[in-house]
Amino acid sequence: METVTTFSGDYGPQRLSVELANICNLHCSYCFRADENLYSPHAEFFPVDLLRRVISEARTVAGITRVSFTGGEPTLHPQFTETLNTIAEAGLTASFVSNGWHFDRVWPAIQANRTALSHVAFSLDGVTRETHDRWRGQGSFDRLVRAFSRCYMSNLPFGLKIVIRRDLMDQLEQIALFAARMGAASLHFVHVMPTSNTVADTAALSLEEQRVAEQEIAILARIFKMNIGLDVGYYNIDEERPPCSPLAGTSMNIDYRGRLSLCCNLSGFRGADNEEDVVADLNVESFADAYAKFVSLAKAQSQRRKTALAALRSQGLTPDLYTGSPCLFCLQSFGKIPWH
Amino acid sequence: MNLTPGKHVVATDFDGGEGILVDLNTKKYYQLNETAMIVWKGLEQGKSTTEIAAEITSNYEVALDQATLSVERIVDNFQTYKLISASQ
Ligand SMILES: C[S@@+](CC[C@H](N)C(=O)[O-])C[C@H]1O[C@@H](n2cnc3c(N)ncnc32)[C@H](O)[C@@H]1O
Ligand code: SF4
Ligand code: SF4
Repeated sequence: METVTTFSGDYGPQRLSVELANICNLHCSYCFRADENLYSPHAEFFPVDLLRRVISEARTVAGITRVSFTGGEPTLHPQFTETLNTIAEAGLTASFVSNGWHFDRVWPAIQANRTALSHVAFSLDGVTRETHDRWRGQGSFDRLVRAFSRCYMSNLPFGLKIVIRRDLMDQLEQIALFAARMGAASLHFVHVMPTSNTVADTAALSLEEQRVAEQEIAILARIFKMNIGLDVGYYNIDEERPPCSPLAGTSMNIDYRGRLSLCCNLSGFRGADNEEDVVADLNVESFADAYAKFVSLAKAQSQRRKTALAALRSQGLTPDLYTGSPCLFCLQSFGKIPWH
Repeated sequence: MNLTPGKHVVATDFDGGEGILVDLNTKKYYQLNETAMIVWKGLEQGKSTTEIAAEITSNYEVALDQATLSVERIVDNFQTYKLISASQ
């Protein structure tokens, strides 16, 4: 059977993921961020001063060299230019993931800080206006294509991220072809992180369907020159190695309030019961203290999963999807999916 | 003759006046120089080739016959690549 490996022996550079905004301008129904944040009447943006302090400390303490911005929608940050300037001045490299809607507006900020940007990632939901806009609203696809055009014309590498909903199962090749023709440097697929029984039943793939999709992605990765991968979240019961960079201690998330947490997948999760993945408030704590707590949480979570897998193995049982997928295991163990 | 930009084409403006078209049917990029972008925008605004050529002569130092020739050549190219459609 074909298998897909996302990590080829390493977890990438030491890095931070930083949520620049709680709010978003779009309404993707499968989105894992809570509505209270995305559509809050109180827009909150990551303070530039805090960013400056945190990256300086995180560099010394955790050796970070990269920062990836997310949200909400990161391009809604009113000081997006200053945010990129901060990265450039610190001599670090940044990237961000965006829905592309406001790309025209932030383009001058990008051009002014071009050397500090490694790439931009755009989220895609379909390869036509109709299919993409069904999820992301009318006009989204054209704006995305304009964003690709700007990157293409200016040699700014861009990647595409796509959540494998069930309705996209038979379109994986078309998606890869679209990405390649648009000149994308990479295409990253990711399994749905379910936010309700409805999403789990209608949009998320079963374990068998995931395997079919993963085989297809492995084939596409061999055929296309473009870098094609599957983000962590796929079924993986290796007990030896951490399944992802947060659990390996390589990447850390900071939410829009300035709190250090385990991973951007868990942060502000829709319908969550608790926030045990949040380890410290960087507004009042040093990064050094916060990082120590982060490392111990990552270790504890890795151990919790090892123990769960070992217990099943000793009973001769095969882990189900919610234990075998590291992200689903995290969602369960951190109380993010009480409906499950 | 009415020349209409295709609905399947997405145009993007750049600072220097240049632009880029994406044909959503073929998924191809077309890079446009300043003049071609003026023609494209003119067509988007429903202008005829004669009106576009006149606009070019009023903004740039170029004779009308020269501008007309350029506009026609550009429009021919747009038609060849099925980026615009013509109707009577
Ligand atoms: C939360 S968004 C923030 C950035 C930006 N608003 C965007 O859409 O690109 C970051 C990524 O998470 C993905 N995402 C959202 N909900 C998800 C879910 N339930 N499962 C897996 N990925 C999801 C989005 O498609 C996007 O690529
Ligand atoms: S996926 Fe991104 S664009 Fe869509 S609602 Fe969530 S944050 Fe907004
Ligand atoms: S949710 Fe858990 S397993 Fe998934 S990437 Fe985050 S820390 Fe790793």
